[in-house]
Amino acid sequence: MKKMKWLKALLVSLLILLPAVVWAEGFSPILSTDDLAKILKDPGVIVIDIRKVEDYKTGHIPGALGIFYNNWAPGAGGLKNEMPADDDLIDLLSANGIGPDSTVVVYGTTSTPPDRVDVTRVAWALKYASVKKVSVLSGGFEKWATREQKPVSQEVVKPKSKPYKGTINKALLTNKDYVKGQIGKATIVDAREPAFFKGENKLPFVAKNGRVKNAVNLPTIQVFDKYPPGEHMEPCCWTYKDITALKNLASGVVGSDLNKEIIVYCDTGKVASAWWFILTDVMGFKNVKIYDGSMEEWMKDAAAPTEP
Amino acid sequence: MGCIACHKGNKQGKKKEDAHKGRIARPSDNINNCGICHIKAGQNYAKSLHYTSFGQHEGVKHRFSAAELKTFDKKVFEQSCRSCHASCGSCHVKSPPVGGITTGLLQGHKFIKKNEGKTCAACHGGRVYPEFTGEYGGTPDVHYQKGMMCNDCHKKQEMHGDGKIYKSKNDVKDRPKCQSCHQDKGNQIAHTIHKDKVSCQGCHSSGQYRQCFNCHAVNGSKAEPGFILGKNPRNKKTLTTLRVIPTIRNTFEPRGIKMENFDALPNYWDSAVHNIKKRTNRTRSCDSCHVNKEGFLKQEDLIKDGSKANDALIFDIKPINK
Repeated sequence: MKKMKWLKALLVSLLILLPAVVWAEGFSPILSTDDLAKILKDPGVIVIDIRKVEDYKTGHIPGALGIFYNNWAPGAGGLKNEMPADDDLIDLLSANGIGPDSTVVVYGTTSTPPDRVDVTRVAWALKYASVKKVSVLSGGFEKWATREQKPVSQEVVKPKSKPYKGTINKALLTNKDYVKGQIGKATIVDAREPAFFKGENKLPFVAKNGRVKNAVNLPTIQVFDKYPPGEHMEPCCWTYKDITALKNLASGVVGSDLNKEIIVYCDTGKVASAWWFILTDVMGFKNVKIYDGSMEEWMKDAAAPTEP
Repeated sequence: MGCIACHKGNKQGKKKEDAHKGRIARPSDNINNCGICHIKAGQNYAKSLHYTSFGQHEGVKHRFSAAELKTFDKKVFEQSCRSCHASCGSCHVKSPPVGGITTGLLQGHKFIKKNEGKTCAACHGGRVYPEFTGEYGGTPDVHYQKGMMCNDCHKKQEMHGDGKIYKSKNDVKDRPKCQSCHQDKGNQIAHTIHKDKVSCQGCHSSGQYRQCFNCHAVNGSKAEPGFILGKNPRNKKTLTTLRVIPTIRNTFEPRGIKMENFDALPNYWDSAVHNIKKRTNRTRSCDSCHVNKEGFLKQEDLIKDGSKANDALIFDIKPINK
């Protein structure tokens, strides 16, 4: 009995220490601005600015490549925010000298709720292409430049292109038919706000109110805190909650079995990417997919099971 | 230079009302004000298409009889079209009013040499600019993806003019060409086969772009995404991307112009759409055009009550003779 208790304590300690092991390598899925400043001059680190070209040219984190968000999630087939065609994605990575073994840090702006999830959507595309180490910057460019007055450059960085040798990881992406078949089998997570999950509200381009049958709600909006904290402070930006808080939020909804299959969706597949990234890269869930068509596609199909 | 050098007013005035007497809100509407120092730029700009708006005039005048053209020049062109011309300040100080709304000063009252995202996009933001950035729902243009902006292809001379008066941008010789940077080295068989038969964007437009229907019409306007391939109205030996042009039969009826020669010009015009991409459905598969005829203008798709000249733009593409 005593031995069992000791073993349990060891397991819990290992779980707590797991992120620290990753940190010890100088890399974490969610980077603070100070973390990034420390590794910025590391030649193995590729920093990507996903804001518009004109914003990038006005000022960016020194050494960052400018690769606008829409390259990573173009509209296609009448749907917003779709994964690029495989050959287009490989072209994009090749042109920018990104390899499967590159360490990539993605940053953008955090001004609006949709802006905040651009980085994880790009991270998902990079992971889909099998780039192993991808990190997102907490607080975005505003925290780096406006709040902390860290160095900013106007020098346009020319990437060193090289053929991309990675393989596409189709397991990270799923489609409508697959989701239909997994209702009642996989944990299907709706990452939209509760009013959308409950069917009380919808975006104009979504055909009707409601959610995928049997879905559970884990709103992405809970992922972020305004920065600096404090009721009377003027926020510059939005940062990720600390890892413990994120884990508590997620485990309360999806449990803690890291092998279970989870499918995350939202309205277009973008908002869902925040929880995909946290569940996969921060918490270690091994089988998490994004349903890219999301409600924009699902609700056009009269045969797709919905509720309420 | 102080404010009064450009904005005039009454420097003796102690109260705002007195000081603002004779004030000029938009001094650069008069090019001579800028031309005092920027002599060459001012001289050129006064003749440029951005200032004269002659392109709009040329684009529609062939639909009018001689009498109608006189009415158009008096009642429409000077009062409406010409009011859209860009002053120096519209690009370098404050975004121009579009539909009565301006996005304000570019950077305080600082004079900005270039800021394409604000200045070019203020007027060209309905179609070209969001297509270029991918914000109209497609993929960003490959040139934007590489960090290029408007001025990287459209040089200063195109913005300010070269001192000559042109009727239309199509008459300007030194316009951007894909071939200026991308020479055909003969190692791409598709380029050799389609040379002088299909425009570059005919194959390399990534997909849908904005088509405008019924703009300027009595009953309001409508914009929809679409991808249209057809014969170039300016050179019917070439297949290219077409864009629906908003002029319809009753566009100028409220001004007493029926457009007697409406059918002289089509409702579809060649458009160098700014959503270029290396790989598209057409570059991936010959069948996209030669079997499936994707995007090709068809009789049944022509706009209702459109110009009779539209028929001549339909290109009946044949299967490849293997």
